[in-house]
Amino acid sequence: MFDPIPWLILSPLIWATLAFVHGPGQGGRLPVAGLILQLALAAMLAQQIVAGGVRVYAVGGWGAPLGIDLMADGLSAVMLLLTQTVALPLVFYARAYFAGHANSLRYFWPLTGYLLAAMNALFLSADVFNIYVTLELLGLAAVGLVALAGGAGPITAAMRYLLAALLGSGAYLLGVALLYGVYGSVSLAALIPLIAADAPAVVSLAAALMLLGLMLKTALFPFHIWLPPAHGGAPAPVSALLSALVIKASFYLILRLWFDLFEPITSVAAAQLLGALGAAAILWGSFLALRQTHLKMLVAYSTVAQIGYLFLLFPLATGVSAEVAASAWQGGVLQVVAHGLAKAAMFAAVGAMIIATGRDEISGIAGVAARLPLTLFTFALAGVTIMGLPPSGGFAAKWLLLGAAQASGQWWWIVVMVVGGLLSAAYIFKVLRQAFLPVEETANFKLLPRMLEWPVLLLALASLVLGLGGGEVLSLLGAT
Amino acid sequence: MKTLLNVAVLFLAGAFGLALGWAILDLPVAAVNLPEQLTAQLDMSGVVHPVTAVLLNFRGYDTLLEIAVLLLALLGILALPRHVSDHQHRPFTANPVLQTLARVLVPLMLLVAGYILWAGAHRPGGAFQAGAVLAGAGVLLHLAGLLPAWVTPGRTLRAGLAVGLLVFIAVAVALMAQGTLLQYPPGWAGALILMIEASLTFSLGLILAGLYLILADSRAQA
Repeated sequence: MFDPIPWLILSPLIWATLAFVHGPGQGGRLPVAGLILQLALAAMLAQQIVAGGVRVYAVGGWGAPLGIDLMADGLSAVMLLLTQTVALPLVFYARAYFAGHANSLRYFWPLTGYLLAAMNALFLSADVFNIYVTLELLGLAAVGLVALAGGAGPITAAMRYLLAALLGSGAYLLGVALLYGVYGSVSLAALIPLIAADAPAVVSLAAALMLLGLMLKTALFPFHIWLPPAHGGAPAPVSALLSALVIKASFYLILRLWFDLFEPITSVAAAQLLGALGAAAILWGSFLALRQTHLKMLVAYSTVAQIGYLFLLFPLATGVSAEVAASAWQGGVLQVVAHGLAKAAMFAAVGAMIIATGRDEISGIAGVAARLPLTLFTFALAGVTIMGLPPSGGFAAKWLLLGAAQASGQWWWIVVMVVGGLLSAAYIFKVLRQAFLPVEETANFKLLPRMLEWPVLLLALASLVLGLGGGEVLSLLGAT
Repeated sequence: MKTLLNVAVLFLAGAFGLALGWAILDLPVAAVNLPEQLTAQLDMSGVVHPVTAVLLNFRGYDTLLEIAVLLLALLGILALPRHVSDHQHRPFTANPVLQTLARVLVPLMLLVAGYILWAGAHRPGGAFQAGAVLAGAGVLLHLAGLLPAWVTPGRTLRAGLAVGLLVFIAVAVALMAQGTLLQYPPGWAGALILMIEASLTFSLGLILAGLYLILADSRAQA
């Protein structure tokens, strides 16, 4: 049987390095081929997991704890599929976005390649130290991509992002060192039974450090301050990659740690605290999104808010009946996928509007409805998922979360979700309303190449169809 | 207000330091005895020194990704938009004593780097240390005015920067033919590890020197 696991990591590493040797602004064809291959590999892996259950792969043939193990289960497969599905249309989009601006493209392709290699490796890793290495690779690639835009603003944002990312992975590494000190192993498979058997207080300290570090990287309220300037200031394809995928990688690790590794020492109080931070993120992020005057900043603050929904998963799945926990878990993961697809589409659509109008203020997009109907349609479709309207993936996700909140009697999360939904509707309609105003006479619309519109529409459609085909994702998620 | 904040931060940092100190003093005996397993398998690794065995064989996959991290650090600097000055090849007025010293020292440093690389198989040493010595030689040559700063690396230089990672990946891909990622066939492990380490030394030397030589130019303009 052909094994896609190692190739999912090797493929982006190879094309990234070749693109680097090729030179700045070069090598845009490699990623297209590489990503088509990776999407096929991810689909193949998902199929293998549905048919044959969880896969373990011993790198070097040694096996944990001496060597490094890779592991792929339903959740890894969902994340891998999401990553390649979001990245492939964005590669076509980026080629059109940077066309004719080879200078501003610089090392976009190698940085993107290493970013994808880091994420694929992270989703497949079953070793807490190896995860740290993938986090560093991911963080450095993301910072390099943010700095690509140049200028004082983006460079400052990239610097802040770098410091936040380093602090986050430093805290994570400290936790790993403590775990190694207590148990003498860094393999997840070895650590899980050991922690279940006996967890001294040091392990709680390690858990707190690792989770805090990852929360900083996920930009959960109140650690979100680095996110809006970094995501809002980067070139549009970069913003889309960062908002849709990169923060989900550290969230994925929080899920792994909370529900697998540290499951014996998690408490309802800690889960409620995570939920409360999530609720604050939803309300504060949506409120700030509503007050933005620039398109990309509005979308970036919307990301801050949408991250909040992900963290409602913890109080809804900890200390409740298995049935409720399963529903919350499914809702949380579906929200990861729905937001990934929709936010990539939204950032890319906004980037296209900015290119066409030449302005990035919300007030500058009057007439977009008449001149760029396709891109505005894409933005609206993505907005349907962000608002959580049926039949989108965002609706299915929020419906499952609402159901879990109602079944476990935690009505306060329902209030937060309803208010958050209304606020997100308000900021999305703020953009739509402006777009439907008549064209200003001074406005000068540029014609957009097709590749700036159609691939993005596909992403938005995928986020919408996810509401109808969500069962497929959930059955993959449940594969054991 | 600011003093209050500082006091609060100091207090938190102190409390965290104490907690960490207590945690480390209180560590139990580890349940998994990794050093013992390492010693038991060392014969199979193709090298005699345990650190090299862990870095290049048992956890070689970590090292593969770490090389990518180092290359990425350099890439991050290259990706920053920089203003390239018109007079890149301005005459360098260097101290003749320094130049003579560099001419004497650099060949010795190359020799030392080669030795450290070779020694890695059976005693402390290896690609990272040897690469650092090479980078030191590069920086010394630049300071002595014998090596210009790297304004924008050309294709040859980029290939040199990437060759360590490319060789490592090529070995990984070639080994996939017999089934598993980075599983060295018995008998071949030592030779393959030496080949990887040699190319890593070269690239790491260039990367580490590059961190200095690329920035050296932008500092000169500031």
